[in-house]
Amino acid sequence: MASNHRRTHRYAGDPPGPGQFTELLHHWTRGDEAALHALIPLVYKELRRLAHYHRQSERPDHTLQSTALVHEAYLRLAGAQAVELRDRAHFIAAASWLMRQILVDYARARRASKRDGGCKVAIEDLAALPANGDAELLALDDALDELSRIDVRQAKIVEMKFFGGLSAPEISNLLGISRATVDRDWATARIWLHRQMSKGGIAA
Amino acid sequence: MTATIERWECVKDLLHQAMQLIPERRARFLAEACSSDYALRAEVESLLLAEEDVRSSFLELADLAGGPAAEPDRTDAAAALAAGQVFAQRFQLIRKLGEGGMGQVWLAEQTSPVRRQVALKLIKAGMYDEVVRERFQSERQSLAMMDHPAIAKVFEAGATPQGQPYFAMEYVPGLPITEYCDRKKLQIGERLELFIRICEGVQHAHQRAVIHRDLKPANILVVEVDGKPMPRIIDFGLAKAVTPPIAGESLLTQLGHLVGTPGYMSPEQADPNLQDIDTRTDVYSLGVVLYVLLAGLQPFEAKQGQKQPLDELLRKLREEDPPRPSAKVGTARDTSAAAAAARGTEPRQLMSLLRGDLDWIAMKAIEKDRARRYGAPSELAADIRRYLNHEPVVARPAGAGYRLRKYTRRHRVAVVAAAGLVLLLAAFCVLQAVELRRITRERDRANRERDRATRITDFMTGMFKVSDPGEARGNSVTAREILDKASNEMGRGLAKDPEIQSQMMQSMATTYSNLGLYARAHELAKRVLDARLSLLGPDDPKTLQSMTRFGLILQHEGHEAEAEKLERQALAGERRILGPEDRLTLETMDDLATISMGRGHSDEAEKLEREVIAAEARRQAPESAQTLRSMDNLGVSLCYQARYAEAEQNYRRLLDVERRVWGPDHPGTLKAMSNLAMVILSQGRLAEAERMYREVLAAEQHVLGLEHALTASAMENLGLILTMEGRLTDGEKLLREAFEIRLRTLGPEHRDTLVSKLNVSETLFKEGRVHEAEKLQRETLKTQLHVLGAEDPDTLGSQSDLAKTLIRERHYTEAEKMARQTYEAQLRSLGPQHPETLDTLQQLGTAMAYRHRYREASKLFRDAIEKGSNAGGRGNGWSAWYAFACVAAAANHPDDALQYLREAVSRGYKDTDGLMADDDLKNLRYNPHFQELVAAVRRPPAKPQSR
Repeated sequence: MASNHRRTHRYAGDPPGPGQFTELLHHWTRGDEAALHALIPLVYKELRRLAHYHRQSERPDHTLQSTALVHEAYLRLAGAQAVELRDRAHFIAAASWLMRQILVDYARARRASKRDGGCKVAIEDLAALPANGDAELLALDDALDELSRIDVRQAKIVEMKFFGGLSAPEISNLLGISRATVDRDWATARIWLHRQMSKGGIAA
Repeated sequence: MTATIERWECVKDLLHQAMQLIPERRARFLAEACSSDYALRAEVESLLLAEEDVRSSFLELADLAGGPAAEPDRTDAAAALAAGQVFAQRFQLIRKLGEGGMGQVWLAEQTSPVRRQVALKLIKAGMYDEVVRERFQSERQSLAMMDHPAIAKVFEAGATPQGQPYFAMEYVPGLPITEYCDRKKLQIGERLELFIRICEGVQHAHQRAVIHRDLKPANILVVEVDGKPMPRIIDFGLAKAVTPPIAGESLLTQLGHLVGTPGYMSPEQADPNLQDIDTRTDVYSLGVVLYVLLAGLQPFEAKQGQKQPLDELLRKLREEDPPRPSAKVGTARDTSAAAAAARGTEPRQLMSLLRGDLDWIAMKAIEKDRARRYGAPSELAADIRRYLNHEPVVARPAGAGYRLRKYTRRHRVAVVAAAGLVLLLAAFCVLQAVELRRITRERDRANRERDRATRITDFMTGMFKVSDPGEARGNSVTAREILDKASNEMGRGLAKDPEIQSQMMQSMATTYSNLGLYARAHELAKRVLDARLSLLGPDDPKTLQSMTRFGLILQHEGHEAEAEKLERQALAGERRILGPEDRLTLETMDDLATISMGRGHSDEAEKLEREVIAAEARRQAPESAQTLRSMDNLGVSLCYQARYAEAEQNYRRLLDVERRVWGPDHPGTLKAMSNLAMVILSQGRLAEAERMYREVLAAEQHVLGLEHALTASAMENLGLILTMEGRLTDGEKLLREAFEIRLRTLGPEHRDTLVSKLNVSETLFKEGRVHEAEKLQRETLKTQLHVLGAEDPDTLGSQSDLAKTLIRERHYTEAEKMARQTYEAQLRSLGPQHPETLDTLQQLGTAMAYRHRYREASKLFRDAIEKGSNAGGRGNGWSAWYAFACVAAAANHPDDALQYLREAVSRGYKDTDGLMADDDLKNLRYNPHFQELVAAVRRPPAKPQSR
């Protein structure tokens, strides 16, 4: 398994090879839901690991941070294997959802630890991600949940853009909707979300 | 006003259009577009206000919007739907029910061919190609064929000419089952009845090859028909129907599933190893629903509705064992009061109601290893039905009905302790007689002698009084403390006469030994032996006596080789000098018997003891202390040879005599009771044995204290019983306590300590804590190899246990290696029919079968069976066939397994409860031939002849 070019550490336990990952991805994009269920833990693990190790930027923009991580995760998991663009877009779609979970978990844990005066914390290194913006992130998470109750697709578009960094053309292709629809959904969602978040007293 | 589902498209559209206009134009545009709908207008305006702020918000940073659209707008057909429209020519849309993962769901009125309300599910598929259409058709067929009261009917499935696929289903205006039950405060029994109906529905679908894959309360709705609650499962198989290839909304569907229902995802779905989904996935989800209906929370949920980090949840799902429903109620204090109220009861009553069968049923349904789950919803329903009818459930672990041969080695009966107290009395008598003789012989020393006699008498009486448990009863000072005091004082008062001192030291050594304080006993006994060897020489009867006594203590301490050497030496001397039927000779024979048993030569021990008993009978002393001791030992030897019925007879007789001669609280009597309890246990009468052990344990703790081998034994055996009954937590607790006691009193390398450790590991194994069990077993084995050697029965036993654990952990190669090695050794030392040998053979066979060498394993069994019958084995011979059947069952050769079981039955195997509850035979449980066999065995006339 040491044959490929990865330079960083291995996971504890049995690491999945790039072959398995791309195979799963391939199966999923051809409609095999079970493959998604198998894929998610892999991706999640990788994303968490990356999030933990990337400490450099103290920037408050979660977007650049998370999109970079998602792309990096992809590279790590797929290795040097050639993957269809379409498959890659699928990956990002799933990963962006996961990324959101991860960031939200971190934010929650950080806030909890602050409240308790920094006692027991489950996540190893909270300095991995910028500390400001926690409240906003959590508010966004809630707001996205609210939005998905009204319009699932729109919430997903936000997620893919914000956490995954997919471009509008990519999203349009992936979901099979027009470019205009994507733009419209993104534009209106931003506004709605902002209003929703403001209600909770969180001003951007 | 927050945007509602129906409005949102509209709002979005208006908002977007308004955004393209300059602010001044917006008001007029809205006025026109919204006309009299003030609410709509207000909503859009409110959002427009927010637009101002967005520009500087952090959301802005993600704006990667490009230029204006270049492509024509490929509008989604579904986006344009509105109430009042007619869909597919015969569905009039009434209102949007919601946004499902798959697309929109509308309440509609079907106009033709029949008027009725339907739930119209519109599948948003942007790219719609041949593959999807085909799958759709096939699913549609099977969905349409489903006709069951618990399944929401799919009336039709099709696509519009424009290509918009849809399902028209029965509209179910019901509540999710969990909500319904809580709101109506349904009791457990009512919930279970409802649940059974759900299982029946899912079963119906499975029989038509449709798996739901997404069972959860939101998909199990309850409506009331004529006041009676009826469940309706919705969304059957729909996920599969429209999924591949992923296009547009299907992608969201799948992601949506994950977001929505992690709690109901089965472990195999959470496992990175790609596995196919089968009907048992639905069983798992049903299990979680059952769990929630019972306990009010999901298995891994801490607080209702609280979101958990995803990987935590996934990890727990894969690795941790969830608490049983009753335990969940106990620990989740915040919710249990509300949960109990919703079930019409109180938390504590709810706990006790759930404890036991309901716990087992729920846990079996959510087993991680799907092979251990119920194989089908109908099985789950059947077990619940059994529960409701007060019949024994299948889910119960093997406790009611257990296999005779499994526990023989566990029962480390306390090694025979000479009844020191009686000896003390005898010594007293002897001393008195001696004194009297002296007095009559030497009249001129009368006064002096009388004084001495008085002193001795007083001292002995004092000690005797104290050692008499009759006196100690109710006294807070223990026998031990006073003995210690006496032995210290002994140095002073009567020190002058070395003869008497020796005698008393000897007695005290025995008494210490009785109380289990072997170190002290060793010290005293050695002193006596050394003194007598030098003063009287090796052939003096007294010296021989000290040899024998010291040997016994060495045996207690576990120095068996030394002990045996000494005892044989003593026996040789005694036979020569005192004769073969002298009391001391018999005592030594008795001790040797004990040692032989410890080394696995129970038949030799039996022989010796029978000789002793016969000799005593010839001497007209059938109730002498020696006889009693030997009878006790005889019983033990019979047990080790698995001749339990004989042993039981023996012990009952013995107990009668001892109660008469010694009294019911005499340590000797307690020991016999303890042994009798063990024999009863060995025959599977768990409840009876448990009662006896509790009695014995209480008495022993009081009389002998905690730090005594007997007490530890009773505790251990009680712990084993609890384990066998499935009360694993309580059992583990007692076993650990017993282990600690042995560790303290005997040290970490004593044989009994090691066996205790193994017993703890056995419980851990049963609890599913396999890694911990393995760790303990390896530790124990290491010590045993070092201290007892590789051929010792206990060492071999540990290896066999370890092999079993390794099989459970699926390390088949190592398991086979270990089992083989052990089996060969046990064949040599114990023979092919010995329960332990067969147990190991079963492990070996199983490991081989899992490595695809079932044929080879079969051959091994056949060889063993042949060898066993040639040797004219004592046992009935069914054990080997039974073990053979277990391997065949595990290797999925049910016909073979049944054949072998029939062989076992024809050789006298009768335990039908054992058959039903034995996990090793679980693959056969639902096999009709197996059930026939069980029924046949139960019915006496049809029973095959036993040999």
